[in-house]
Amino acid sequence: MSKSTEPNSLYPQKYTVPFARKLSPAEQTQVDYYRGLRESFHEGPFYSVLDASSSNAKKGSAARANFDAFHGMPTYSGRYQKKRRTLPKITGRPYFLKFFPRELWQTLQPNFRPDTSMDGYQAQASAAGVKRGFEDEEDEAGPAKRTAGGEDEDEGDVDVDEAALLDGDDEQEEEIMDDDFSEDDDEMGGDYNAEQYFDDGEDDIGDEDGGGGGGDDEF
Amino acid sequence: MMSQCSAELCMLLIEDNFGELFARIFTVLQRYERLTLPRLKFYARLTDRQLRHGLSAMIQHHLIYHFTSLDDGNTYYEANPQAAYSLVRSGKILQLVENRLGEYAAQVLEAIMTLGHSSIAHLETLPELKSKRQRIPNGVHHDEHKIDGEGEIEEDSAAPNGDHAVSEKPAYLHPTLKSLASHGYIHRLREAHFQSPNDNWLDASRIIASRPDVKQMKGKQQAAEIEEKAKDMVKERTEGDLSRGLIYNGVPQGAKIRRNHGDSESNKQVSNGTNGINGDHVEDEGEEGNDWSEDEDGIDSIPMDSNLIIRVNYEKLDVALRNTRFLELAEQDAHSTSVEIYDCLLRRIEYQTARCRDSFEIPREGEEGEQYSVPIQLSSIVEDVDPNLDLAGCIGPMEPSTVLNRRGKRPLDDDTNGVNGDKHEDEPSGKNRAYEIDQHLSILSQPPLNLTTKHVISGLPTWRVAFRGLARKLRHLELERMIESRYGDVALRVVRVLHAKGKLDEKRLQEISLLPFKDLRQTLASMQTGGFVDLQEVPRDAQRQPSKTIYLWYYDPDRVCSSILEDTYKAMSRCLQRIKFERSRERDFLEKTERTDVKGHEEEFLSEAELEHLRNWKAKEALLLAEVSRLDDMVAVFRDY
Repeated sequence: MSKSTEPNSLYPQKYTVPFARKLSPAEQTQVDYYRGLRESFHEGPFYSVLDASSSNAKKGSAARANFDAFHGMPTYSGRYQKKRRTLPKITGRPYFLKFFPRELWQTLQPNFRPDTSMDGYQAQASAAGVKRGFEDEEDEAGPAKRTAGGEDEDEGDVDVDEAALLDGDDEQEEEIMDDDFSEDDDEMGGDYNAEQYFDDGEDDIGDEDGGGGGGDDEF
Repeated sequence: MMSQCSAELCMLLIEDNFGELFARIFTVLQRYERLTLPRLKFYARLTDRQLRHGLSAMIQHHLIYHFTSLDDGNTYYEANPQAAYSLVRSGKILQLVENRLGEYAAQVLEAIMTLGHSSIAHLETLPELKSKRQRIPNGVHHDEHKIDGEGEIEEDSAAPNGDHAVSEKPAYLHPTLKSLASHGYIHRLREAHFQSPNDNWLDASRIIASRPDVKQMKGKQQAAEIEEKAKDMVKERTEGDLSRGLIYNGVPQGAKIRRNHGDSESNKQVSNGTNGINGDHVEDEGEEGNDWSEDEDGIDSIPMDSNLIIRVNYEKLDVALRNTRFLELAEQDAHSTSVEIYDCLLRRIEYQTARCRDSFEIPREGEEGEQYSVPIQLSSIVEDVDPNLDLAGCIGPMEPSTVLNRRGKRPLDDDTNGVNGDKHEDEPSGKNRAYEIDQHLSILSQPPLNLTTKHVISGLPTWRVAFRGLARKLRHLELERMIESRYGDVALRVVRVLHAKGKLDEKRLQEISLLPFKDLRQTLASMQTGGFVDLQEVPRDAQRQPSKTIYLWYYDPDRVCSSILEDTYKAMSRCLQRIKFERSRERDFLEKTERTDVKGHEEEFLSEAELEHLRNWKAKEALLLAEVSRLDDMVAVFRDY
């Protein structure tokens, strides 16, 4: 019962934790409005995350390196998963260029070509905006598919960009699910090829034709 | 310069609403202040594309100021913390607008918020604004719905805004926008709104300074001239008021005023009779249905200019929110009738008040002069007050002369009758009513709150509100509330004594506060560690010996306010971070509910347990968000009002 060894009670033994009041109806509507607005921001064109790491990320990119092997694998139900943008979608709504700085005009309106007769600072602004090499590559390497939805009234090249903005189009994802390995194989140079490892001896049977049906034709 | 806590809060708010990319750009800009694009790119470690798209979108939402210097031609970007902070207030604002102008107005405002800024023409094309979301089944709206549908078809055929199509298209949109504009809740967007206030100021003063007539001046005169002219110029450039021409008799369009309409009167009488004094909210709902139909046959057929670009006017909405706060204050100890009259007065004042205060920062305690609101004539308040409101019920009997008029009833009888809600037989004349309303306002003007102030201009009684004093009062009440809950009522007494008397040494403090030494010392010490009171040492000789030193306790509300403000920011940040963490814990489940096929069809796809889980999560998030919004109330008191 000696308390000599026990720590002295510098700290209160028990904290009285205050509890938050229940929400009043007015507060509930406020919260609902806030969530509604947030929802519409999230659904809107501007919501964008920094890295949506999934196996859809381009090979060799940083996003690919951060790929979560346990949860990031594409699954069938993944096609319904909410897609996150990595870049705000600029197209699809009007902008008032006079409110934006000149160096962003080209971003807002891709068909905008800065006049050559602009005053001095225009040249500087465009010089600052010169893209570095690897970014260009990334932009153009985006899948050259066009989204089926024709919501965007703008030029074609914008649409292509658009497809690249979403971190995974439906089509793209399906494709990956179909031939998981074959894509990798092409690029890795066949150092070790898991698919062909077992296939090796069976080449004569001709598994390409697909089992029994193919065999019948040959005989 | 942003403090660390508010910077963190802004970042979290942006991340919650717009995602990580915006938050990253915003944080970098807050940390390094203004930057050009290449520097920003260097610090943010984002790709050029991400940066350009992000910046454009953020400018669209006013989260970033930009300024293109004429000297070096560079465009500088700067974070706009006010805009970021106002994200937290969106729920409150939308609720306020819904209360004032109805659900559709809130919907329109929400759409404008979603877009950042927008032209009227673009708003016209939005599908979600074409039809009124109908939650209350109401006969009045059905036929107008049909008109909406027709408008939609017309719009599709004549897409580029043909004027004839515009004029009869969305049945509600234009009247709603007009009432929003006339209340000042939205305003015209100017180019100067995209530059930070400092840039606007410097720009204006440079232009003024280069004028030949100003150049001729010298010294102080020149500086004063530049200052004055630049102020005017900034004001002119940022002026976005749309209410001109939309206010009739001091009342903006679409404002819900309890007018005495022929058909609705019988209704009101009934509700008044049954519910007595508290029955007025019932009327509100009844009136809501009539609101738009009334306006439509009236003055409102002219649509707004479709090229107009508008955005939400947060300054004005702060005024409205402040008024609701004052109303809550009044509710604490005034009768509901007085509160209602006060509401009418505050509404009238709100229409003519553009912002909460003129100075950017809250002035220091004691250094701030009183700033009165515009005076409102008693007669116009009388007009606004619901004619069926029982005025006499809750105030004491009239002067003997008026009492005698009522068949010589004794004053006591008269009083009790009123409380029970029985209408008097004799119709109160206009004069009498005005007198009664005046009485109610006088009750409100009593100390300690001094909610109103009477002011007689050329013989006409007017009422006004001393905003600065009231705002200060709010701050003090908030601080006292906090001190009491943290340190108990003894501490509250000590703080009040210190506040009233200034700096006091311990002995004197003990004499005044009538507290035992032991209690006093304990509370003072714990409050000092909390930063609420502090000690000043005044040495009586050069050696600064403790025995020959006077110790003075003091309480500095300014200092406490600013430190509490920082604490509040921090608490809000923690709440938001908690939401984030809770979300990450439930991530798999939440991702499932957010799947494109599940969303909106939760009942269909989720099991009963999962639905329960989802409800729990929503309740949990709502609790945290409500806490943030309560803390925001405190921030508003300490910073904005």
